[in-house]
Amino acid sequence: MTSPQATARRRIHYPEGVRALTGLFGLALVVGCKGQVGDPPAQNPPPPPTVSNYVASESVARRLSQAELDATLADLLLDTSGPAVRYLSEDEFSPYDNDYTLQQASMALIDGLEVLAGDVADRLVEDSARRDTVVGCTPENDGDEDCFRAFTRRFLRRAFRRAITDADVEPYVALLPYATEQVEGVDNDFYTAVGLVIRAVLQDPEFLYRIEVGAEEANGARRLNGYEVASRLSYFLWGSMPDDTLLDDAAAGRLDDAAGRRAAAERMLGDARAKRHLYRFHAMWLGYRTIPHGAELAGRFNDETNALIDRVVFEEQRPYSDLFLLQETFVDDMLADHYGLERPADGSGWVAYDEDRAGILSHGAVLAAFSKFTDTSPTQRGIFVRNRLMCDVIDSPPANVDVDQPPEGDPDDCKTERYLAHMGASGCVGCHSQMDPIGFGLERYDIAGQYRTHDDGREECTIEGVGNLPGGATFSGPRELARLLTDSGEIQNCTAQQVFTYAVGRPLKPVEFEAISKLTTSFLEHGRFDTLLLEHIASDAFALRLEPTP
Amino acid sequence: MSTSMKRRTFLRGAAGAAVGLPVLECMLNTNGTAYAQAGTAPRRYAIVFAGQSIGGDHWAKNENRIDGRNFTEEGHFIAPAATGRDFVSTTPLTPLDTVREQYSIVSNLRIPYDPNSTDPNNVPPGGAFRDFHGGGCSPLLSGMRSTSGSFRANGISSDQVIANLNANQATIDALVLRAQPSWYLAGSSYAGRQYLSYRAANDRIEAQTSPQIAFTSLFGGFVPEGSEAAARFDFERRARRSVLDLVSSKRQRLLAQVGAADRIRLEQHFDEIRALEQRVAMMPPIDAGACQALEDPGADPAIGGNNAGSGSGDIATNTGYSNEHERTRLMCDLIHMAFVCDLTRVATLQITVFQSHMNVHPITTMMGRPILSDQHEVGHNGDANNRGQLAVSTVLQWHVSHYAYLLERLASTQEGAGTVLDNSAIVFLPEGGHGRQLNDGSTENQTHSTENMVVLVAGRAGGLSPGQHVDGAGAHPAQALISAMQGAGYAGDSLGEVSGNIPELFT
Repeated sequence: MTSPQATARRRIHYPEGVRALTGLFGLALVVGCKGQVGDPPAQNPPPPPTVSNYVASESVARRLSQAELDATLADLLLDTSGPAVRYLSEDEFSPYDNDYTLQQASMALIDGLEVLAGDVADRLVEDSARRDTVVGCTPENDGDEDCFRAFTRRFLRRAFRRAITDADVEPYVALLPYATEQVEGVDNDFYTAVGLVIRAVLQDPEFLYRIEVGAEEANGARRLNGYEVASRLSYFLWGSMPDDTLLDDAAAGRLDDAAGRRAAAERMLGDARAKRHLYRFHAMWLGYRTIPHGAELAGRFNDETNALIDRVVFEEQRPYSDLFLLQETFVDDMLADHYGLERPADGSGWVAYDEDRAGILSHGAVLAAFSKFTDTSPTQRGIFVRNRLMCDVIDSPPANVDVDQPPEGDPDDCKTERYLAHMGASGCVGCHSQMDPIGFGLERYDIAGQYRTHDDGREECTIEGVGNLPGGATFSGPRELARLLTDSGEIQNCTAQQVFTYAVGRPLKPVEFEAISKLTTSFLEHGRFDTLLLEHIASDAFALRLEPTP
Repeated sequence: MSTSMKRRTFLRGAAGAAVGLPVLECMLNTNGTAYAQAGTAPRRYAIVFAGQSIGGDHWAKNENRIDGRNFTEEGHFIAPAATGRDFVSTTPLTPLDTVREQYSIVSNLRIPYDPNSTDPNNVPPGGAFRDFHGGGCSPLLSGMRSTSGSFRANGISSDQVIANLNANQATIDALVLRAQPSWYLAGSSYAGRQYLSYRAANDRIEAQTSPQIAFTSLFGGFVPEGSEAAARFDFERRARRSVLDLVSSKRQRLLAQVGAADRIRLEQHFDEIRALEQRVAMMPPIDAGACQALEDPGADPAIGGNNAGSGSGDIATNTGYSNEHERTRLMCDLIHMAFVCDLTRVATLQITVFQSHMNVHPITTMMGRPILSDQHEVGHNGDANNRGQLAVSTVLQWHVSHYAYLLERLASTQEGAGTVLDNSAIVFLPEGGHGRQLNDGSTENQTHSTENMVVLVAGRAGGLSPGQHVDGAGAHPAQALISAMQGAGYAGDSLGEVSGNIPELFT
């Protein structure tokens, strides 16, 4: 079992240069060790001080990611067309798309937002059903100020996610004359002005950023108000804006204490948005957001993996370790044939795994991620296990290694021999022995998750499929690997780190490992993912923030 | 045009900053062409970038494999055999044959590195950290040495030096565009590969990736013909200004509420909104002479999904491609007309990002030589049947064809006694060379190399004398940039840690 002490020893600071490389697992960069080939592996730094320092996490104004903005527009304006993906630059995934340290305003962003706002507003105004729902009143004439004010007040509250005053509404009334102005060739009416309100709001930093202020407390931390907590909750659990119920909770002070936050979160976990968001979180974390397969197969892989997340986390609320250990998987006939499993009874459903397979590590989605050179890469899979499942930070490779080159050696050799020769060559063993032996244990599964016993087209090249974790534990296949990682608590510890990283929206700071240790200790006892989320939400720090130190 | 009149007339924007007006009628000659007097036209500077090297791994410059057949043939490596003005154009250069006398190629350029050490402290001035991807970025763009494999420039990029020279002279100081709108790979991210323009060390400028939005931004201010259309335009423009004014008016109140870190973040956002307000507030440009509003390009081509393979046979499916061909063409049109109308004097166009993984199958099929690979893997022999120099040069030729198109447009637009191209310095910049591998410092004929690099420089601004093949003899590629910068009016003789131009480019 991983002790908190062991957790704290983990390296968590990405050295200069590695930040940029972390996005590259799985394709072009082998992440190994610093220095020259032949240098001994880097030593872990000494553990941080044991005195408890953690009070709260630093936060700044976080701009909505493309995904968050699109989900928010769907909830706010019933616009499901994905405008942010269409009009804004692609987010960086590191591996999460919400790293605020990578966000920077630019002319490209501002121009894109203006066009986005205009397009979203125009389409809403033209769609009377959506429009009437959003406006919420029927104007008696084009200049109906009462209806205009009522709409604006209600819309601002939802868009800015806070209480709205008369003073907030007043500036927008200046847009109402555009509804009644007589201009030849211009067909304007009440909804012209409504569209302008929407355009203004969608370009407003209060909408685009989650701005947290808070009130200073004696210990220097700042306590968030109810609305700020509501936004934290909704973007953490839903990846979208708070609904009216949550805003009402905030207004009534129900989010000011741990019990109230927990109750609100429990309700929210029952919503479809929580499921959708958790699918996406796992896909970013485990690297299968997109995979090197055609749309049909990739779609089935996603259905399979999402069904497992559903069953373990939501439907049966099983121990989260079952995500890695469950002996069944959800397939249709095509996927069953693909894997060589029995077909399900009714066209699609749960079927039993054979001996080697278990849980998500047997899924085509996960086995497809981290491939390289059109095949599995034992090195990349080793990095996947170390980095994403054990949360070990692996330094960048020595500069003098060109990681876009497959291992050299005799092309007539079998793949395993080539990797072994490479590992033994000129001092590479120090680093590659920390990665490749893990991947060897999964080598009997190709990048489509199919079982194989020898190299493609070469029967003489038998794949042994036996690997070792750091420390020497031997395993063969996904089931044995999952057993080792869950029994040791490695995955549970790493899961808590991943959740925390996503919650704060940036790389972790050393002091935050205290909070993660607490979550992990409890997680190892209760085992449930929803409880892990709820305990984080119920912690006092969830309602606090620190001003960043310069 | 009266010599006593300032060439540019300025409006005072809301914040008091000087903003440039478009060409006024009083500045035009009787033919409607601007800048009739010699030497009055603004000088323009642009970089067109290709995110690839110029040769393939383990294949010499005359070794090719096409359709599964190996053969030896000269003329496919980008640098011509002969130097001087009588060079024969090579496969990547053939699209430039229509503008043969308008560009020069500088070959045999080299970013220095320490062959004996990978220690970041031992990187020479202007040199490359010994990791090709990332390590080559800073010296290439900024002339500053790299000290890690991160994709970041450690100083101001050449285009921004010229933008600063021309600050507030045109509607926007620099047009920053990128045609490749997506990274296309699973499990990873750009991580800095998408930046070409830097205001200062690591202060990167996000590029506009949408031709549609770039069009709206540049040409949305042109008043349409017809009174009703003009009235609608005026209504819309007033509404647009009211909306932006409303957003901007919250600035002080919001900034007063937040902490120091957020003040900086939000100020930057509000500053960009203010810049947009100023652009909208300016008098609408007047269509005059060669300056004409472009046709609205309509919705952007759809963004393709991620690659269904990486260098494999799976790549044939039409993913990993967002019609960069059409996007690049549209962006060249925008740069051309933005230069003609003096909406900007500086542009960067990153056709493909550093270490691009765009699927090249659609473009190479269009060119009649289909390659089943993504762009990065072409250099690493991704397609078993199409490898070596001609494969790499085919993809490079596609990039050059867009550069050629931009040059043709600029060369066919009259300005004063000459053409717009005569008043421009337009650079074509590939990411890497072909030679000794930077990472291990020993393997020859490698795509991950900062040796044997090339830079193309087109136009006659500032006395540039195009039409030559210049042997750079190991000069730094930034020296070619310095030459182009000087052509565009830069009085200095250095970029970052690199000094000196390529003198032949002016003779």
